[in-house]
Amino acid sequence: MLSLHLLSSTSSSSSLPTIVSLNCCCCEPSNHLPFPNTNLGFLKVKRQPKVSNLKAGFWESIRSGFGKNNTIQVIETPSSEEEEEEPLPEEFVLVEKTQPDGTIEQIIFSSGGDVDVYDLQALCDKVGWPRRPLSKLAAALKNSYIVATLHSRKFSSGEEGNAEKKLIGMARATSDHAFNATIWDVLVDPSHQGQGLGKVLIEKLIRTLLQRDIGNISLFADSKVVEFYRNLGFEPDPEGIKGMFWYPMY
Amino acid sequence: MLLFNPISIHVPLTLKPTPTSTSTPHPHKNLTILSQLPPTPTPTPTPTLSISDTSLQSKGFNLHRSITNLNLHHLNSIFVSVGFPQRDISKIQIALENTDSLIWIEHHKTKGSPVAFARATGDGVFNAIIWDVVVDPNFQGIGLGKAVMERLVTDLLNKGITNIALYSEPRVLGFYRPLGFVMDPDGIRGMVYSRKKKKK
Repeated sequence: MLSLHLLSSTSSSSSLPTIVSLNCCCCEPSNHLPFPNTNLGFLKVKRQPKVSNLKAGFWESIRSGFGKNNTIQVIETPSSEEEEEEPLPEEFVLVEKTQPDGTIEQIIFSSGGDVDVYDLQALCDKVGWPRRPLSKLAAALKNSYIVATLHSRKFSSGEEGNAEKKLIGMARATSDHAFNATIWDVLVDPSHQGQGLGKVLIEKLIRTLLQRDIGNISLFADSKVVEFYRNLGFEPDPEGIKGMFWYPMY
Repeated sequence: MLLFNPISIHVPLTLKPTPTSTSTPHPHKNLTILSQLPPTPTPTPTPTLSISDTSLQSKGFNLHRSITNLNLHHLNSIFVSVGFPQRDISKIQIALENTDSLIWIEHHKTKGSPVAFARATGDGVFNAIIWDVVVDPNFQGIGLGKAVMERLVTDLLNKGITNIALYSEPRVLGFYRPLGFVMDPDGIRGMVYSRKKKKK
């Protein structure tokens, strides 16, 4: 059985117990693993905190990051705003899982934009997107204000230096660096979907944008994913404002 | 009581992917057809100009494509006059410096003061969004809005950007439609993040 060690589980904010109820479970990436039909497994996991060789600084960020997720589940409170003010590190480990065979998998979030274009193209292929020229992909990344990624790092216990790193998710935002940002190209490797990673990816991207004082964050959503973004705080057609495209071909 | 992310079906967690001009926005459909398409893009219609550059000039209007000589205070006051919130001039400066394309028109009698303006941001290759389309209320109704929009779209197309989008207030949908803009194509919705509206 896969056992999951939640990095956030050592935080003891009073809002955590409320997370355990079934009603609010979609934000935590850890929710959707081996015990889909019970919260019992989730409870068990919560009591097995794993402390590994993590930098002191990012405990705060993980806790505040997950704390923010927690408070989203509960109510809008001033405390979530305090957590928003804590600067998000550019790169940090979101989740760490240990397989029964001792292999460790870490999911790492980064807003540093260090993406291998070949990896990105392979990921786009995996989700079934049409091929785009590599040079254009590279230019689009370079001209994006923020490129947020999720990587999976796998290594045997004690051999962190030999980790294999794989791109499993990406989202990017273009912006005028002052007022508006638009999110494009959100994708998660099908093998890692269903775990809430897409939600975390967007949440962290939003938080990074807000911390850079970009007030207007927008996107265009296929009808199938409108609910997904609504749950993240996006509103379709606010005040009747409509998205329009120039001679779209479909 | 969802235990699984609602997107746990095997649909790519995607926004409208930026299509090349030969592809559809729904890559999980018609993949075999895509593989048969020729590599060269099919030409997209370029807007014909309702008012030519010469015609504009003869009426005393000058066209600009850079922020040189653009008076930001006057720009800000036009924004305010059409109902935009008052914005910080230094932030406007930053926004314009990080804008891919922009067009503004001035009347030769009031040099530096824009009477019409539009700009577009994006990634320079696939996508562009048009923002801040304004015409000074004293100069509305003579085609200056169309003039800046047609030229801005043409400039974007000339850069190879075919995915051009904007957010339109309901009262000006009729302005953008004849320019070739389609609302919610294929069910795609424009969405904006609201800090107050997170899920409970």
